[in-house]
Parts: sequence; C-alpha cells; structure tokens
Amino acid sequence: MPTDTKRVRGPEVSQSPSLFLCKPAAVFPSHGARADGRQRDQVDVRPVFVRCGLVSQAKGSAYIEAGNTKLMCCVYGPKETERKDETDMKCGKLTTDMRFAPFSCLERGSWIQGSQDKDLSLMLHESLQPAVCLHKYPRSQIEVNVMVLENSGSVLAHAVTCASLALADAGIEMYDLVLGCSIRQDGASYVVDPSYMEENSCSSVGSKNQGGLTVAFLPSLNQISGLQSDGEMTEETLTAGVRTCIEGCYKLYPVIQQALAKAVRRAAPPPSES
Amino acid sequence: MEIETDVVSNTDGSAKVTLGHTAVLVGIKADIGKPRPMVPNEGYLEFFVDCSANATPEFEGRGGEELGTELSNTLYKVFNNKHSVDLKGLCISAGEHCWVLYVDVLLLQCDGNLYDAISVAIKAALFNTKIPRVHISADEEGGKEIELSDDPYDCMRLNVENVPCIVTLCKVGHRHVVDATLQEKACSVASLIISVTHKGTVTCTRKVGGGSLDPESIFEMTKAGKRVGKALHAPLMKLLQQEESLGKTRQKVGFLG
Repeated sequence: MPTDTKRVRGPEVSQSPSLFLCKPAAVFPSHGARADGRQRDQVDVRPVFVRCGLVSQAKGSAYIEAGNTKLMCCVYGPKETERKDETDMKCGKLTTDMRFAPFSCLERGSWIQGSQDKDLSLMLHESLQPAVCLHKYPRSQIEVNVMVLENSGSVLAHAVTCASLALADAGIEMYDLVLGCSIRQDGASYVVDPSYMEENSCSSVGSKNQGGLTVAFLPSLNQISGLQSDGEMTEETLTAGVRTCIEGCYKLYPVIQQALAKAVRRAAPPPSES
Repeated sequence: MEIETDVVSNTDGSAKVTLGHTAVLVGIKADIGKPRPMVPNEGYLEFFVDCSANATPEFEGRGGEELGTELSNTLYKVFNNKHSVDLKGLCISAGEHCWVLYVDVLLLQCDGNLYDAISVAIKAALFNTKIPRVHISADEEGGKEIELSDDPYDCMRLNVENVPCIVTLCKVGHRHVVDATLQEKACSVASLIISVTHKGTVTCTRKVGGGSLDPESIFEMTKAGKRVGKALHAPLMKLLQQEESLGKTRQKVGFLG
C-alpha cells in the first residue's frame, strides 16, 4: 500500500472515533418509510440539482447534488496524447479519474488513490466510452476528472451522470447522454438511489436477496453502457433491478436535458429578434 | 479444463487450472492477523492477482498492473457477501486474532477467459486449504497466547459449497459466447461477467468492454450465465472430492504434464 509521505496523518494505530460509539449501528428496517421520507419499492430518486459550466479553466464542467451527495466533474480536451506511444491514429482516447476528497466519507480517507478509487474510475470509463464519438477525435485524448465532495450514497451513478453532462458542456460529440441509477436490494424490498446509511447497513437477518446494483444507461438509444452489482441476488431480482434502474434513468432524463439547455442558452444567448 | 490441487507445498492450499491455453496458479496462505474494526468476530480474505511477464510480453514491467488491479477488485466484489466463505469460522478470538487468507493468483499463460479460470482455481484452492488448529491459552500476565497444534494433520477445512464461479459471456454480433478465447474476444464489443453459486444466486455482475449492450441481451446473458454457472459446480465438486480421495496414490502431474 503506497504511503503518503507528504502529509502528517497521525500514528498508524489511530482510528476513527465513530468505531467507539456506545450504541450499536442502527439496523435499518426493511419495511416502512425510509429515513428521508422517500418510498420503498418505488422508483423514488432524490431530487437533483445540476449546474454546468462552473470551472472557467476547464473545457467543460458540471456539478451535481442529489440529497447530500455532491460531485463535480471537469473535462479537458481534446488535446494531444501525453504518451506518444499510445497515440491511436484512428480514434481518440478517453481517460477517467475519479477521486474522493478525504473529508467526503464518514471516515477520513487518504489522498493516495486506493483500490476503490481505481475500480470506480475503471467502471466510469466503461460506462462513458460507448457514448463518446471517439472516432471523431483521432490522435487526441479527452480527460474526465470527477471529484466526490461528499459521499452520501450511489456515488458511481451520479458520477456517470455528472461526467456525461460535463462532456456535453465541453462540446464533445456524443451519441447520447449517459445517466446512472443505482438500487439497493434488501430482502424482498428495494430502495432506489440509496443514501450512504442505506447502502452500508448490513441487516442482521441473513436474508437471501441483499445487494446493490448500479446501471449506466443511454436513454434515447435504449442501451446499457455500464452494469455493476455485488452482494447476493437471484437472477430474477437482478433482472427486475435492472428494469427499475432503467426507469429511474428515464425519470432523471428531462431534468438533465433542461440543465444542459439552460447552460447552452447562458453561454450563447439566442439572437434577439429585432 | 484441467485442475490440479496441492501443487505448491509451501502454501496452505493451492491449485492450478488450465483452460485451453490459459493457465492460472492460485496459492493460499493463512496468517494470523487482527480482524477488521467494523467486524471484530470475522476473519477476511485478501486477493492479489499478479500478471507476470511470463504470460504475455505486454505485461512486462508495470503493464500488467492495471489488469491485475481490475481482476483483484472484481474478486473482492464476488466474495463480498455473507455466504460465500464462512468468515465467522475464521475468527480465533473476537477483536484480537483472526485468520486472514491471502489468496494470490498468478497468471501463467493468457489466452482469454481469465475470470473463469481464476474463479475455478480459487474454489479448488480453497477446497484444498488446510488451516492449522490453534489453541488459545492465557499466559502469566493475563495476555493471550496462541499455540499451534503439534499434529500437522490436525487442521480445519473450509466449506466451499457456496463459493461462486465466474462465467464470462462475450457479445459477438447478435449472439453471445461463453468461454471465449482471445481471438473471439477481439471480435466482441462488450462482455458480461457473472458470478454464480451452486444454488443459482448471483453474487456479482459486471459489464466490461468499450461497447454498450441492449437491456434484452443483458437479460438473455444473465439467464445463460446462471445456467452455465450452476451446471459447473456439481462436476467440479465431484472432481475435487475424487482427487482428494486418491490421497497418497495420486499421480502428480505438475507443470510439465
């Protein structure tokens, strides 16, 4: 594990005080209303606040807020590939990088990328690659950087949405916007767009279906560009979960389109009728 | 597919799997460590996949690192549930000592379909793992002392009934292919990795590759993957038990067989 020699992190044995809490971690009930008032077993995604064009230095940028999850994404490019030996004559290269700010999760993370960050970056790359018209940018590289400011559940799904918005804001040609949605299956019921507590609560009952699923979807082409699940689920639950996520993406689509249209109108106001 | 267990004598469990031209070697070592703070009464597994330059010249230096991290991250996800491996059985004393199983995977030859070969090898190696029994006694100052039993054959075996196997389905044109070689993989735009237990429960799915998939083909592929995965477990367990029962009379094939 690479160690961070530039920052003072305290002794190795230091632990987060949340481990020493007197009361045990609340086991979330699998019935009844969710903590923030949303419904179970229904496609009830959190209301989303989206804005494009925040970072003036970047070619394109986007910021997304869903509940307490806050992410921002910057896109740089298309520019010449950094390593000459990786230049592809026929199509461009997409590089993605997803990082968590150290203060984003309940426990302080380290600046050096752990395996979770690399894994999420790879899945983000797999979700975005089918959507970007890379053959229109030969010999160039497009860089997508996502920074998670606060992790309050379904980070990968919102990162995918944010990144595709930033790519659109940068004027990169794409086949369609990519939207992400995730669900958490807990026994016989599921919750869409889980919060951090809902994602990480392990219910004490060893029920059969327990797991999380994230889907990246291209709505107008009806194609799934990214799929990731873990935990234990039956195949029928998995199939139903994918359908639910697709529904969630369709719900989010008009909001994202509106935000993008607003950003374009702000950047280049339509010619006034005189 | 050729499977052989107990090929490396220094490990607590090992297995070598050859699937066509793909060869994978898994070694498991059990160490005593401190349990994770959030789950003090469970042991855990650590995965590491090494893509050595032996497999392909592309893996020379740091080339294989990306593929190695991708493979190990997927393995963590596959085993990230309560039922695959009995983690509570790996606990020695809650909050202080537990068994940590370091699963190290070495790719010897690479001809596509790495996930399937690795998962079969891990299942075989876990079946072959012999963890020595420990005895905890209190010493003079009230601290705990761990003693390994003297008998080398007195060991704990793991129940690998619920260990899942990974099936990779590659989408080629309008159909999908199971167990694709490198050449077949070059023709496919995207593949779906699905890990299935013997009961048909799916523990992890993941889409890899730079293409997109139709929702309908994903549903088809999960059905097919579940069918193939489920059918893989029974003959595998039978084969492993058969090999075990041969005992000393077993002919070791080794690496050049």
